[in-house]
Amino acid sequence: MYLVANIDPGICGATSCTLCTQFCPEANTIQYDKERKTAFVSVDRCKGCAQCVWVCDNMAKHHAIKMIMIDQLPEEFANKLTKNMSYEQENLKPSPINK
Amino acid sequence: MSLDYVKSTPGFEKFMPKDYRDLIDHGPFGKKVSVSQVGTFKEILEEHPMCAGCAMTLFIRLSLIALPNPEDTIIVGTAGCGRLAISQAAVPFVYGNYGDTNAVASGLKRGLMTRFPDKHKDVVVMAGDGGLADIGFSMLMHSWFRKEKFTTIMLDNEVYGNTGGQESGMTNIGSVLKMAPLGKKFEKIDMPDLARTAGCAYVALVVPNNPKRVEQCIKKATLIAREVGPTYIQAYTSCNIEYAIPTDKVMEDAKNVENDRYQFKEYISEDAKQYLAEKWGYKEYAKKAIQTTEAAK
Repeated sequence: MYLVANIDPGICGATSCTLCTQFCPEANTIQYDKERKTAFVSVDRCKGCAQCVWVCDNMAKHHAIKMIMIDQLPEEFANKLTKNMSYEQENLKPSPINK
Repeated sequence: MSLDYVKSTPGFEKFMPKDYRDLIDHGPFGKKVSVSQVGTFKEILEEHPMCAGCAMTLFIRLSLIALPNPEDTIIVGTAGCGRLAISQAAVPFVYGNYGDTNAVASGLKRGLMTRFPDKHKDVVVMAGDGGLADIGFSMLMHSWFRKEKFTTIMLDNEVYGNTGGQESGMTNIGSVLKMAPLGKKFEKIDMPDLARTAGCAYVALVVPNNPKRVEQCIKKATLIAREVGPTYIQAYTSCNIEYAIPTDKVMEDAKNVENDRYQFKEYISEDAKQYLAEKWGYKEYAKKAIQTTEAAK
């Protein structure tokens, strides 16, 4: 068994600061769900470095992320969200460069 | 080298892995993305074998997001930790031999400028402190003396992290490492000042502590390198293995080092300021240019 990051959607949804998505060293690992306004972890990519925990505790001061064992993940959060992952497109503008 | 090369042949999409299809449909190619939108689009960096909690990975990830045109960019790298992650990104990666990264990049950029005279193709050298400041030093300096138009990014982890912890030219004086048990005897090389003296149009010293700032630096450096001249970015990316930093304290260490000896420094030449203001609409430099001319009068 190994540790992965787990974000409390209740605390995160109230603030939605998105700092952890910017500070995670792994790509495509902490994603942001715009409907629920919360960040969530794609647990199969998480290496368990706990950098997001430090960022959430000390920079954002929200204390929403905890390291938990992989087999103790809340069921719906582990499976539902990573399977139905959706990317937001409306915010992305066409790049003005090279046109 | 362009979005057409990334797209799969019609009819064959269903045979591609899901990650690849996501990259085409939801990736940053041809769009304007920023660090604050991370997590809502597919990043061009993929899963990589670098250590958990590595600050270098964080910096590489941020810089790949910040590239103004990832579909028109080639990254040149060399042996070292950085290439483990850079080679896993959906950007063409040239693995230069140790020492010749900047020579390879010079030829590449000149060739691209001849082949695509009406388009900007960016070349970015991203290598470690050993690869640039020690082994690749002469090629690095000469590419600056010749004013080659590409960006050089140094991933400064202050040690040869990949080979067991030997001291490099960028290690701090007195640092005791596994393969330098008596501590380093000489000062850290002052690369930003060397870059400025050698004629770089843009020099920046950053810590990945501030993602927005990293993004701004990479954007400016790549844009300036298109027409004005060589640019150089030096980033502190601590090695949490060789310096024994617990992974959850990596950002704390980056903050301490930033306050101690790695304060954000930025040098932009007057030509580059003018170029940014006129061509890319950087208002802060437009104002400064007016103020300085008024002061001169």
